[in-house]
Amino acid sequence: MRGQDVVLDGVEITYPNGFRAVERTDLTIAAGEFFSILGPSGCGKTTLLRAVSGFVTPSSGRVLIGGADQAGKGPNARPTALIFQNLALFPLMSVRDNVAFGLEARGVARRERHARAEELLALVALADQADKKPTELSGGQRQRVAIARALAVEPAVLLLDEPLSALDLKLRSHMRAELRAIQKQTGVTFIYITHDQGEALTMSDRVAVMNKGRIEQVGTGDAIYSAPETAFAATFVGEVNRIAGRVVAVEPEYARVETPLGVFRARNPRGLAVGAVAWLFVRPEAMQIGLDENAIPATLQRRDLEGPFVALHFSAGTEAGMGQALSLHRTNMGGIEVIGTEMRLGFRAADALVLPEGALAETGQELAAQ
Amino acid sequence: MTSDRLLTAFTWTFLAFMFAPLALMIVASFNDVSPPSVTDWRGFTFKWYEFFWMDEARLRADPVLRTLDRERFYGCMGNSVQVAAVVVPLALVLGLAGAVMLTRWQSRANGLLWWVLLSPMLAPGVILGLSALVFWNRLGVDAGLFTIMMAQVTFVAGYPMLMLMARLQRQPPELEEAALDLGAGPFRVFRRITLPYLAPALASAAVICALASVENYNTTMFAKGGACTFATEIGAMARNANGHPPVINAVGTIIILVTVAFALAGALTRKREARV
Repeated sequence: MRGQDVVLDGVEITYPNGFRAVERTDLTIAAGEFFSILGPSGCGKTTLLRAVSGFVTPSSGRVLIGGADQAGKGPNARPTALIFQNLALFPLMSVRDNVAFGLEARGVARRERHARAEELLALVALADQADKKPTELSGGQRQRVAIARALAVEPAVLLLDEPLSALDLKLRSHMRAELRAIQKQTGVTFIYITHDQGEALTMSDRVAVMNKGRIEQVGTGDAIYSAPETAFAATFVGEVNRIAGRVVAVEPEYARVETPLGVFRARNPRGLAVGAVAWLFVRPEAMQIGLDENAIPATLQRRDLEGPFVALHFSAGTEAGMGQALSLHRTNMGGIEVIGTEMRLGFRAADALVLPEGALAETGQELAAQ
Repeated sequence: MTSDRLLTAFTWTFLAFMFAPLALMIVASFNDVSPPSVTDWRGFTFKWYEFFWMDEARLRADPVLRTLDRERFYGCMGNSVQVAAVVVPLALVLGLAGAVMLTRWQSRANGLLWWVLLSPMLAPGVILGLSALVFWNRLGVDAGLFTIMMAQVTFVAGYPMLMLMARLQRQPPELEEAALDLGAGPFRVFRRITLPYLAPALASAAVICALASVENYNTTMFAKGGACTFATEIGAMARNANGHPPVINAVGTIIILVTVAFALAGALTRKREARV
């Protein structure tokens, strides 16, 4: 098996009812890459995946796999295999026949395809379950059957549509590692769709953050987490404090933002000019108690013990009930803060970002509402 | 409390209304008197059943049975079997095609198509029989078994269509998509995924089609010309001036037993399938 690259060249997808599911998208996914598309439900990520697999025809633009234009090719003629969200294992066939189905469709003789199916079942540690029906297996086992079935056709690109969403937390983190290992072992290009930032960040070589049919940012998980380029990427991936404001001064790479809590200095990667309406973003782990830089007086409202770290929730600003919510994560090395204490918070300018105003993640992890 | 009791009373009245005539018919089929009666009890007998296989001498000896034409009755039953043998597979194929089209082919014409395909089920059987007769006569085909088959298929095909549609709508579309994605062509997807999934529904639809075909009277009556079927022959026997022979009660009892047996088999199959 060898992965192939996938190129989306000006792909646009509009449904017959006029709904624009995917805005014009240019994207290159390298051969053998583990690439995730991360976005909230309804952002168009599944539609994009179905355009690669051939179930959806782009209204304009081209899909190229290994350099070959896929226009006019149905799902059964593309070098891709799709793992469905509900897995779509064939309930009336044995596990072996499920895995061998793709080979059966290619006219491989029974003995040969069964041998191949058993090899793949051994790869996913299910060699002894070949005669069972899918319904007799556990969730994690079914998951592995779906993977084996997809790998049996030796796809150049494996497409995964939130395949872990039905599993419980523990199994999910186990399957993450397993998927990553299988990807490394086979060298197949993986395109992984998820709304779970944890999955995207832990498994992927690169992540695309998608919102409302548009890919907002493509980069490594680290780049997206520490240097988000849009307000949406900043709020959808990870927790973040945000303060609304206006740029009042710019210096090389940095800007000063005036907010109801005072004027703060932060990185200005998008080069906002004076007068621009902006959001100031600071990750909770970048907030520090007692730091003089970008200082904010705040009152402790709630303390959540998360185990390895403590999440402290503050209210800043003077007017009662209009307080700006801020949160801070500190490593748990002991110590108990008292609710209601006034503290002085701060953050380093290098750890904060000024980004242009824009759509925020709606369900996201922003800490405004308490 | 009173409403509960009212409902119970209603239910029992309704059941009695439905099943009392059947019970009377069954009891009368064992009474040695013709025309059939349950009040005028002349002794228990199996002869109304034995009519179908008793030897010629005994048949001649019985004053009621000897007036009946057993050979003709057999012939008509044979005709019914022939008709069903054509109608059932034809109705299944047509119903399957209609069901697949209406569930998988998303078109704005679907609503219209649904009514067109089901209208024969709603149309009076007399009209179906007559129109088949007229249509095929124009084409130079005389009324007979063939016109019966054609007339029956028009409405019998609706049953499998409805049953298969219900089943197809419950099948997750991802199963067919997955098969397609794994490289199978549309025909293989249908044969390996859709058809096995439909198998239980096809089996029960076949039984229902067979029963509908054999028991059909009105459509068959108008399309039959000089031919006869099981149902039309029973009808002819029932119109006997001296009251109908209890043989008809015996036949009715057997039909009830067969129907209940199929219903039980169906229920058991569904139960087993639900467990898997």
